[in-house]
Amino acid sequence: MHVAALRDEVSVGPRTVRATQAGALVKLLTCGSVDDGKSTLIGRLLWDAAGVTDDQRAAVALASQNRAVNGEKIDFSLLLDGLQAEREQGITIDIAWRYFETPGRRFIIIDSPGHEQYTRNMATGASHADIAILLVDARHGAKRQTRRHAAICDLVGIKKVVLAVNKMDAVGWSEARYRDIERDFLAMAGSFNFAQVMTIPVAALTGDNVVYRSTAMPWYAGPTLLDYLEAVDPVAELVDAPFRLPVQLVLRAAGDFRGYAGTVTSGRIKVGDRIVDARSGLGATLRRIASMDGDMPVASKGDAVTLVLDTDLDISRGAVLSETARRPVNADVIEARLVWLSETPFDPEAGYLLRTATDLTPVTSMSVSALVDFETLASTPAHACGVNDIADCRVLLGRATAIDLFRDLPGTGNFVLVSAIDGATVAGGVITWAQAGAPAVGDNVLVLNRALLARGVCADLGDSPADEAEFNRRAQEVAVLLRSAGVPVLIEL
Amino acid sequence: MTALTSHLKLLEAESIHIFREAAAQFRAPVLLYSVGKDSTVLLHLARKTFWPAKPPFPLLHVDTTWKFPEMIAFRDRTARDFGLDLIVHTNHDGLARNINPFDHPPSVYTDVMKTVALRQALDTGGFDAAFGGARRDEEGSRAKERVFSFRSAGHRWEPRRQRPEMWQLLNGRLGKGETVRVFPLSNWTEGDVWRYIQLEKLDVVPLYFAAERPVVSRNGQLLVVADERMRFEPGKRPVLRKVRFRTLGCWPLTAAIESDADDIESVVEETLAARVSERAGRLIDHDTAGAMEMKKREGYF
Repeated sequence: MHVAALRDEVSVGPRTVRATQAGALVKLLTCGSVDDGKSTLIGRLLWDAAGVTDDQRAAVALASQNRAVNGEKIDFSLLLDGLQAEREQGITIDIAWRYFETPGRRFIIIDSPGHEQYTRNMATGASHADIAILLVDARHGAKRQTRRHAAICDLVGIKKVVLAVNKMDAVGWSEARYRDIERDFLAMAGSFNFAQVMTIPVAALTGDNVVYRSTAMPWYAGPTLLDYLEAVDPVAELVDAPFRLPVQLVLRAAGDFRGYAGTVTSGRIKVGDRIVDARSGLGATLRRIASMDGDMPVASKGDAVTLVLDTDLDISRGAVLSETARRPVNADVIEARLVWLSETPFDPEAGYLLRTATDLTPVTSMSVSALVDFETLASTPAHACGVNDIADCRVLLGRATAIDLFRDLPGTGNFVLVSAIDGATVAGGVITWAQAGAPAVGDNVLVLNRALLARGVCADLGDSPADEAEFNRRAQEVAVLLRSAGVPVLIEL
Repeated sequence: MTALTSHLKLLEAESIHIFREAAAQFRAPVLLYSVGKDSTVLLHLARKTFWPAKPPFPLLHVDTTWKFPEMIAFRDRTARDFGLDLIVHTNHDGLARNINPFDHPPSVYTDVMKTVALRQALDTGGFDAAFGGARRDEEGSRAKERVFSFRSAGHRWEPRRQRPEMWQLLNGRLGKGETVRVFPLSNWTEGDVWRYIQLEKLDVVPLYFAAERPVVSRNGQLLVVADERMRFEPGKRPVLRKVRFRTLGCWPLTAAIESDADDIESVVEETLAARVSERAGRLIDHDTAGAMEMKKREGYF
């Protein structure tokens, strides 16, 4: 029997939910600080949209009585109480995953901390999301942290953003106030690469426009938050994106079976298509898409498949199978924007490895060129970066690896940086520029070394620490100017 | 082709991706097979992942000696039918000390017969990665778990030192003495597991389906009497009631629920309509505040 045939109406919470075939999976980031009412908003969403069971309801109702917060009957933020116990142990700065479903959809809420000192946790959570809900307090409007949250969402590739203007009850349900905030936010959002930006006036405490339409704001004709979430298309897929499959494993089995196992990160492939290994340039024709449930004719983005080719390419994990026309770059040098995750700051002398889709490539050298300022979104020349910093950097690889630019193909354009010493994940980043072929001095890469700078730009500087800092600052500035003029630069001081 | 709904298809693909990343990056993985519904789904996904080859790792069952006989029979049949290696480990030291769920508090019993036993088995086998069927929707501390959950030497979980995981990238590079628990079902819910079992027509232990079973009531929970080791409270005798299990563990510590759901359709229906959270029937979770987090720190999966 198919679950679609399940048709009984079951009462789950205040809302009657039809237990039927669940729809697509939507991964939802929620960010904002506790003061903005984030816990209350998530709690309200779970409570009204059926993500809460009776024993949890009873526990929350009891705890609410004890606390009598806001003179209200129920404190919805207590639904996240399992996490509050951990707060005392100091780990609520971490991301929490919550799940609920409505008749149309299955949702994953990635609840991430909003404070600046937890930027790395927010970036980590955001990297898994399709859609972000940014929360602001209607009394305060978009704050500096709203811009920071939007910038992080943009960095990790989120294409759809909802601004939930919360606590509308506290501003007398004022349309004028809401429109001001909306206007400011839309102006700000224009500087990012979002495909869709939405604003919704809500009051999490009373539930207005979260799941149920508000009667206090008749001037708002748009969807409630849940209406929006149930209707939005979570996929921001390019039409006719090029095929990519980073090879995870080569599977061998009886009868000379040899299959390339991996997840399609972009585009689609069908039996009979020509494909190429980006690194070696070797080509083959797709003969089978093999699976335990029977062969498939086509594989598309997101499918975890096993490809059987007509000729065996001598490739292994780390290879990227591609369509023949639009191939990845066989990069030896990349430039990237990254968020530094480790408590240990970047050290140009430390050994790092670049972990792309399925490849692990040694880093020959790496330099930071700038830090991103969240206030202005401008880059400030820098050569160091530490935890929670967003930095632009340049990485020389020990050997070529097949990658794409993140803005074109996120699945083959992202990476994490791994410490060669203890294996820790120290940074996560997106590739903004890549070049095939090793950069050679005198080729097309300008090496800014000490002698070159000391001759003129830094001729007035001595050996004091202050002068040394100034020397570095000027070196970075020169590099930034040259790069903006299209000249690849390496700083070797 | 199977008729998976779109969100289950996405979850399945995500799980297969995780299995493959782990198989590629770790030297000696093992699959923790606890015989329950989550293990059933986990094993099915492992078979799909590596098909037409067999999963390149053995199954490990930590047998506390307090499992239902139906579970043991199902376990042995599963390993045989799929031609997989099965390692069964019991903490014989704990057994010799007669550590049992009646004379010892759940925390002590669980630590000795499950957590310590698991550590022994992993160390003996030299495994550097263990697949587990844990889901983030089960419990508060699990809501914060990583897909690759790193354990320091001695299998300790340090919540503050978890590795960040970004996008689909899973970094399995181990530091000295570290091992990993891998959770391919991280983003599945109880409802997903049951719908998947239904759609893929998977065989599960019959205890999940309602039947007349000998039951005693204790602290408001229904215990099914599995064998003669049961300790009855004065004046209490088992009565036959139609019950089933939402979650399976050691029989003296796992409560049954009254139900008429005796086939997969009605179990799915009942699960999706459930008004009480799944682990409410797990007595070990309520022993002390933050019980699960404590167990995980000690090396429980």
